[in-house]
Amino acid sequence: MTIQQLLLSTWDWNSLLIAGCIAALFFYAILCGLKFSGKSVFFITGVVLFFLALDSPINFLSKGILFSAHMLQHLMLVLMVPPLILLGLPNTRNHRDILSYVPLVKHPLAAWLSGVGAMWFWHVPAFCDAAASNELIHTVQTFSLLFLGLLFWRPIVGPRVEERLSPLIGILYLFSACIGCSLLGIWITFAPVSVCPVFMNPTASRGVFAMIRDDWGLTPAMDQQIGGLLMWVPPCFVYLGAILILLSRFYRQPEEVFPFPLKKGRKK
Amino acid sequence: MNETFANPPSVEIFRAQKAAQGLFSWIATVDHKRIGILYLLTAFFFFGVGGLEALVMRLQLAKPNNHLLSPDAYDQLFTMHGTTMIFLVVMPTLIGFANYFVPLMIGARDMAFPRLNAMGYWFFPFGGLLLHFSLLAGGAPSVGWFSYAPLSETPFASSPGVDYWILALFALGIGSISTSINLIATVLALRAPGMSIRRLPLFTWMVFVNSFLLIMAMPALNAAIIMLFIDRQLNAHFFLPSHGGSAILWQHFFWTFGHPEVYIMVLPAFGIISEVIPVFSRKPIFGYEFVAGSTVAIALLSFGVWAHHMFAVGLGQPMDIFFAATSMMIAVPTGVKVFNWSATLWGGSIRLTTSMLFAVAFLLQFTLGGLSGVTFAVVPVDWQVTDTYYLVAHFHYVLFGGSLFGVFAGIYYWFSKMTGRLLSESIGKVHFWLTVIGFNMAFFVQHFLGLMGMTRRVYTYPDFPGWGLLNLISTIGAFILGFSVLVLIWNIFVSLRRGATAGDNPWNAWTLEWAASSPPAEHNFDQLPPIHGRRPLWDLTHPENPDESETFKKESAEGKKDKNKIGMMCFIASEAFFFIMLLIAYIFYNFSQHPNPGSEWLNPLKTGIFTFCLMASSFTYWLAEKKLESKNHKGFLVWLVATLAFGGAFMTGQAMEYWELFQKGLRAGTSLFSASFFMVTGLHGLHVMIGLVALLIVLAMALAGDFKTGKIGTVKTIGLYWHFVDAVWIAVFTTIYLVGVRT
Repeated sequence: MTIQQLLLSTWDWNSLLIAGCIAALFFYAILCGLKFSGKSVFFITGVVLFFLALDSPINFLSKGILFSAHMLQHLMLVLMVPPLILLGLPNTRNHRDILSYVPLVKHPLAAWLSGVGAMWFWHVPAFCDAAASNELIHTVQTFSLLFLGLLFWRPIVGPRVEERLSPLIGILYLFSACIGCSLLGIWITFAPVSVCPVFMNPTASRGVFAMIRDDWGLTPAMDQQIGGLLMWVPPCFVYLGAILILLSRFYRQPEEVFPFPLKKGRKK
Repeated sequence: MNETFANPPSVEIFRAQKAAQGLFSWIATVDHKRIGILYLLTAFFFFGVGGLEALVMRLQLAKPNNHLLSPDAYDQLFTMHGTTMIFLVVMPTLIGFANYFVPLMIGARDMAFPRLNAMGYWFFPFGGLLLHFSLLAGGAPSVGWFSYAPLSETPFASSPGVDYWILALFALGIGSISTSINLIATVLALRAPGMSIRRLPLFTWMVFVNSFLLIMAMPALNAAIIMLFIDRQLNAHFFLPSHGGSAILWQHFFWTFGHPEVYIMVLPAFGIISEVIPVFSRKPIFGYEFVAGSTVAIALLSFGVWAHHMFAVGLGQPMDIFFAATSMMIAVPTGVKVFNWSATLWGGSIRLTTSMLFAVAFLLQFTLGGLSGVTFAVVPVDWQVTDTYYLVAHFHYVLFGGSLFGVFAGIYYWFSKMTGRLLSESIGKVHFWLTVIGFNMAFFVQHFLGLMGMTRRVYTYPDFPGWGLLNLISTIGAFILGFSVLVLIWNIFVSLRRGATAGDNPWNAWTLEWAASSPPAEHNFDQLPPIHGRRPLWDLTHPENPDESETFKKESAEGKKDKNKIGMMCFIASEAFFFIMLLIAYIFYNFSQHPNPGSEWLNPLKTGIFTFCLMASSFTYWLAEKKLESKNHKGFLVWLVATLAFGGAFMTGQAMEYWELFQKGLRAGTSLFSASFFMVTGLHGLHVMIGLVALLIVLAMALAGDFKTGKIGTVKTIGLYWHFVDAVWIAVFTTIYLVGVRT
């Protein structure tokens, strides 16, 4: 197999997925009253990334072939799609979403745990293996990642502005999450054992492996190292980007009126 | 100006120190300004020591095949020079400035914890003495400032030099962590009305961010040096590959601290520059938000790039690629700052005072050092030039051409505030030019020497073409630099005696410290000007053209913060990082496939019972707090004693476990398991003991009736610590007894 073949012929074209994505875009258009704004770009990018993660060669490779591709898919689903979708939703102040009725899930600590927990939970070797080899569990994994990711990002970029964390607390939230997933990344990078044994003894067609092992020179150990580094380094930049967004929000926030203005009616 | 604020009345400790007279009053002081000056003076003393060490080294290197120094003496000199300059000069100088000016800049009476502040300072000369005591005890450490294992292990460094190095760094670490906690609590809790976080002067902001960096980075160093100390004193083998240990882990741990440390040494200097450049350009800083935000970005990124110090180790291609990328990324926020400073200069009416000259030189030299830094992110270049004089040139451009030039700018800027007299500008200009010429002569040529292959840390070099000449230039430059320091001392001496009186605000600066008298009164301010923006003194003198055109604003929502709680939370965060490092070490040594004798003797069930005791103690403490809240003093006492009993039971359990393991012949040196087990549980036990002592103090206070008035702050703060210690045990117990035990 050549790279060209890999890029062209391994798309899944899952009709359910395509229908789902189109439906999402359709409902989004209705939600915005068919008016497109800058925010729509976020939402559409989110849906496109979601589609790419689950339909493109990334998905093909992540099913028991390349651990690093699995990690890429994992990160797209937790760290990229959810914040983009949330950023795309129109800001609401009045109506409640489903979560407003569940106080516990709304708590920032629960949100934090679901985000960081999603990373750790699915890298327990048994679960990681199961998801990479069993289609049903893989689907469960996909949607749990997406859902937990949405929960995690809600206090930062959620559409309900008043339920967002204050910027400085938000920075702590993101920074500690960054540490949480860096530790996992460091563990995977340096672990002497396989985190996801399926990828060590792959069963997929030999053609792909001729390319990966021989042409690319990618050994399973290196593959896991790249996966660990993917978990460790790029998320930190996502978190850092979010932290910078929070900082800019912090400096833009209108300040409250000083109780004793210097002199009245002064203008520049 | 009728809208001013009176300062809070002085508290008891400030009155207490007035009893002390003369020199003793400097030892007994808890005044942040005096402590700041003590920091600066002590650091200046060590600057002289470290500088002389450098000059002796340069003499040795003045010509090829020189034998002025023996190889061993040379090794000791560069180790002491590096350690001194980093831990005893740059860090304390910047902390000294922070100590003096952060409370003034935010309009506070003093630091949040004045006594802790004094303690933090006294750890610094103590650490310095410990380090230098090694000279009397059989030779200074001679393994480089980063003490790479296994070279720093007993078989290769048998003199006690490294032990003193460890103890000194540990003492200095305690000092700088406590001062950082203090600074964070000061900035969060003691800002004057109107001084919102968004209006913090940039120096204060950077010191604030820097303090977080310190409390997170120092624990990595502390964990590493404790492990090294256990290796050296208790015959463990953490970092000895010959016995299954890992020398690479030392490097990882050291640089986890070491790279943030680079930014710890430069961020406050950035802050000084961000104060000096606007004042002498007569313009507000360009893009305040960008300067402030990029500081946060630098601080966070600095934790993700340490592996670029280890490219030559052979971490594997994936590691190299990722860390090359992150290392290049960190140049972005730094570059943002350089652009902001340049844009502030642009179109300003620049006054080239000595302070400004140093700031401008900082800008150029730091950029140069930064650029050569980016070249190290390119892995093949790094392989070529690492551990050559190119590296030496690079970090001297950052640390001397950057940090110390920032410090000099700060000295010329703030000397008048600290002493009431201006430093002589004419002598200052001489000092400046000598410094610039000497510095660039000494270090610029080292770029070429490095590229030609001259390795650092070798006591002499062969007579290759050009090497002798370039080294001679470097040595001459170093001596000019040394002489320039004498000029500075002379300037300080002369100016203190007959310098022009400064007045409160000689530079027409805008931040609050210039509203105090020069030198400030012991209580800092009689009256604070109203704070409506980032430049209160500008608003005061230009009421027709204030900084912020909209209605005047203030941040009232933040309210009063509890400084004790903030301080304790920061301490806990620092301790949490410490235990994370220890647990990483434990996992590293125990979860691999090698046989690791000893772990089969652990008894999860028995320890589980004592774990239950510790958990119960958290619960009883919570009950005690509840009782105190409901004014049930007796119930409070009962549950407090119960907490102590449960805590004591846990310690007894641990002692019994240790005894059993000892009986079976397990020692720290037996295996990597035993070493890491005793380290993690022992250090946790130490924390429980500290917690028990704190609880005993609470009990004593309670018996004396201190809490009858309903004051609950102390109880809650100690409670945070106690719950933290319990939470750590859950992590330790899970790792060691539940996951780690092999059956």
